Amino acid sequence: MSENALVSAAKLRAVEQACGRLFDEVPYYISIQDREFRILTANRKTWEDFGDCLGEFCYRVYKGRSAPCPECPVARTFADGCEHSSQEKIFDRRGLPRDVLVNTRPLRDPSGQVLAAMELFTDVTVQKELEHRLHDSLTRFQNLFDLAPCFISVQDRELRVIEANRRLMENFSWRLGGRCYQIYKGRSEPCPQCLVAQTFQDGKPRCGEDVLVDRSGRSVQVVVHTAAIRDPRGQITGVMELCDDVSEIRALEDKLASLGRLVGGIAHSVKNVLEGLRGGLYIGNLGFRDNKPEDIRAGWEMVERNVARLSRLIMDMLYCAREASPRRLPVSPAAVLQEVFALYAERARQTGISLEAEADSELTLLAEPRDIHSLLSNLVGNAIDACCSEEGEGKSYRVKVRVARQDEQAVIQVEDNGVGMDEETRSKLFTKFFSTKGPFGTGLGLLVAHKVVTEHGGTISAQSSPGQGSVFTVRLPLQSPVAGAAPTATRGTTQ
Amino acid sequence: MSDGKKILVVDDEPDVCTYLSRLFEDHGYAVRCAADGEQALEAVRLDKPDLITLDLSMPHTSGVRFYREIKAHSDFSSIPVIFVTGVTGPTGSPADTERFYASRRQIPPPDAFVAKPIDPEEMLGLVRRLLGQGGSQ
Repeated sequence: MSENALVSAAKLRAVEQACGRLFDEVPYYISIQDREFRILTANRKTWEDFGDCLGEFCYRVYKGRSAPCPECPVARTFADGCEHSSQEKIFDRRGLPRDVLVNTRPLRDPSGQVLAAMELFTDVTVQKELEHRLHDSLTRFQNLFDLAPCFISVQDRELRVIEANRRLMENFSWRLGGRCYQIYKGRSEPCPQCLVAQTFQDGKPRCGEDVLVDRSGRSVQVVVHTAAIRDPRGQITGVMELCDDVSEIRALEDKLASLGRLVGGIAHSVKNVLEGLRGGLYIGNLGFRDNKPEDIRAGWEMVERNVARLSRLIMDMLYCAREASPRRLPVSPAAVLQEVFALYAERARQTGISLEAEADSELTLLAEPRDIHSLLSNLVGNAIDACCSEEGEGKSYRVKVRVARQDEQAVIQVEDNGVGMDEETRSKLFTKFFSTKGPFGTGLGLLVAHKVVTEHGGTISAQSSPGQGSVFTVRLPLQSPVAGAAPTATRGTTQ
Repeated sequence: MSDGKKILVVDDEPDVCTYLSRLFEDHGYAVRCAADGEQALEAVRLDKPDLITLDLSMPHTSGVRFYREIKAHSDFSSIPVIFVTGVTGPTGSPADTERFYASRRQIPPPDAFVAKPIDPEEMLGLVRRLLGQGGSQ
């Protein structure tokens, strides 16, 4: 330390005494340092928390360093004679970290020379800690907000979206300040019965269901919850709207509902079969009682007929419940058609229906042969039934099946000039357990046909109108469909 | 015992028609069958029956429609009608089904109801009761 400085320090000590105990009492760490950052004096609080530091280097006392800190505010004060500040982390005598705000100012002699620098630390450890916690909880809140598996927005009274979570931003055509009804539904005006508006009105939470349209145009079924956001005085400043995507649950419910209908339909069919069996037994027993062979025969025929019907129903049910994917073997639809025609030849002859084929015998599919047989026999059987159901005097009925190649598809058309279907019947064809044929149908035939076609990656459609007959068109890809390709069913049009 | 009462059986299932016809004939009733609502209406007009058994779930012509027309017609509204159907309520019990039909305001409740599969004794008992032939159940 230079001689001059020592002299000045002596003067400063006089100042310190003049200030009495004030210096010691202030709740800050105050030290006065020379140009080499040696502590010339410090207040009592500094002594208490950092030990006897007189004559020690500032950087060693506060940070345990062996060299001055970069960006030292004391150094800058010595350099330019101005006040400086910074934020530092220092360690007390027990090694505990403290966050401090640092202020430095020059101490000058009467001629204006900077003799020393005063360094004042304000301990902001508690504030810093609170700041960290606040930041952490904000981050956590933001993460929850963003990652929540639903669409969350905060809206003002004009239904402007003033906050939105990431999921909402990713799934909808979003812009800050856009109206809820524009973002969620592409509407130009608020929805009737808006839940957010209702919550704004009375502050009560609301819950409802709605359908939104996402940015790709897909309908999203949601359960909507709203809740008021209030300021400390209790005034409603916004409403949070939470939309939970329940599309998959709804789809599942639909599936369950149609399964329920299927089971109900099957139960109905089984009851009718059972009724037929009981009737057969009853009439047979009458025959035994009264010794009438014709009654015995009639009863026995009823039993036979209903046993056959039950077998068909069960085969169809088993097929519908089968989950295995079909094998891919070379199948000639023309050859299968011949077998199917042979099966129905007797019935067609009895009922005077002509069976006609126009089949490309070269055409080969890669498919499950049993499935193709089942598909064709269902469609041809239906066509024959359609002809039998009409009471057209003198009309000549025919069932015509075409098998042809079109591009990379096999196209199978089964056409009849029978009773035909109205729009209502046609619309139910492939989707529901459905029979128009009373005792002759299991109600599962077209479900089976539909399942065969979709499992082979094809489509099936129907054209029909009452009295004009029907045409069922099946398209099957000649190549195996790409794995995972979604098979589709199309609905035909009414002629 | 049946006083030659006439019963119209309306069911699209030929086997059910045959079964009920034989059941009723065997107990002395005169029976006529109809496979759908249209045929049934014609049969009622031609030869008014004393009682009708009606399958409600016929596909072609609605049994409900036929029932409504009968009940709206002053000449026929007093003919007792027994509903016969395979459609039963959520638990499958006939009591549920009766409640189901009773709750459907658009049709008046039936005089009686029989669920498939039909119990012949129950059916005969109902017929006797509705025709005022005693042996009520």
